[in-house]
Amino acid sequence: MIAGLVLLIGGAGVGLFGSLLGLGGGILLVPLLTLGFGRPLREAVAISLVSVIVTSSAGAGVYLRRHVANLRLGMTLELFTACGALLGGLVAFALPGPVLEGLFALLLGYVAVSMLRRREPARAAAPTAQTEPAIDADGPLVEGARDGFTTPSPSLPAAPSEPATPDAATALDFTAHLSGPGYRVTHLGLGTVGAVFAGIVSALLGVGGGIVKVPLMTLAMNVPLKVATATSNMMIGITATSSAVIYLLRGEINPYIAGPVAIGVFVGASIGTRVINRIDTRVLRWLFIAVLLLTAVQMAAKAVSR
Amino acid sequence: MSVTRRGVETPVSDAAFAIEATIARLLVLGTYTAIGMVLLGVIGMALTGVDPLGVATAPSFDLGRIPADILALRPEGFLWLGLVLVLALPIGRVVVAGLGFLAARDGRLALVSLLVLLVVTGSILAAMGLEG
Repeated sequence: MIAGLVLLIGGAGVGLFGSLLGLGGGILLVPLLTLGFGRPLREAVAISLVSVIVTSSAGAGVYLRRHVANLRLGMTLELFTACGALLGGLVAFALPGPVLEGLFALLLGYVAVSMLRRREPARAAAPTAQTEPAIDADGPLVEGARDGFTTPSPSLPAAPSEPATPDAATALDFTAHLSGPGYRVTHLGLGTVGAVFAGIVSALLGVGGGIVKVPLMTLAMNVPLKVATATSNMMIGITATSSAVIYLLRGEINPYIAGPVAIGVFVGASIGTRVINRIDTRVLRWLFIAVLLLTAVQMAAKAVSR
Repeated sequence: MSVTRRGVETPVSDAAFAIEATIARLLVLGTYTAIGMVLLGVIGMALTGVDPLGVATAPSFDLGRIPADILALRPEGFLWLGLVLVLALPIGRVVVAGLGFLAARDGRLALVSLLVLLVVTGSILAAMGLEG
């Protein structure tokens, strides 16, 4: 019973921490379960996938109700993330554990460096940022929240907006069909290739893949940041499901652990979205970077020592 | 078909708005239902003294056994039902979207929806193949 409570609290911490910093739970949950609770990596990845589907579904519901996510673009890209996830889910069972741990250590290092490169979040946000919803990369909708990870920065500029022209000519163009209010989607081919990669990363490592999809959509496809983060969140559901069913049918999901963790992540993420405006995330961010780097070293050491 | 949203001309139709609203309701209600089931399972675990980190063998997944487990008030029945609902939600979202696109005579996105479902089916078949 105490172990269940500890798992629930651990999941809540991951959900809270992740939502405050604009990340999905996977990047934190997998190390927590493997290094903290000594669970096998594949089981941790499987449980993480379930948890990110929960937060993705809850968040996507809100995004779609508010028409922030681009359903047409998301569904087109998720066809390719799902293909990548199918591939990644199969590869995950062929790769030795230490290789997966090494890959996860690399991902942790990459996320830490990405966060270091982001500018400090502006606490005195512009009026538009206070009134319009801000969205984290993988988690639920964050009202008026801004953090250093999801705010457009010099290295991640907001995409230029071009007015969409829904005349008869562009209606025949599939790319125009995927565009949204005030922007036109570009480089769909590049987007599909990147989406396959995001799906593979998600399935192999149990993360949402927002770290790949959001920059891809904003930098390469001309999608505004808010739409990209909301659309990425929505896509996680089917991407993670494509690989999670493989883990489920292969017996890698332990319901006694997945249950408390999923509830914890859901509750933690919900609390995080409500308190984010009252918390200075700058200190939290530095702490998080330190935790990521430390975890990366531990994960790499574990991979090498076996 | 085009509508004006925030003063910007867009190719988003009323039908698309309706699809999004329907999916939003499905996802929110479905998530709460799934989490509710999982919560019942976790409460059952606590009441029956299950130690999640201490059990030697976790209950295996068997879709056909879930109703019997629930009727017998076994926690794993509620846990599996909740987890299956979690995995089914995104699939349900694609089905609803596909039907919506079909109703709106958007053949291309209806086809995309069908292809997504085929990929998920491929995952299930691949997993079953691995299992066998």
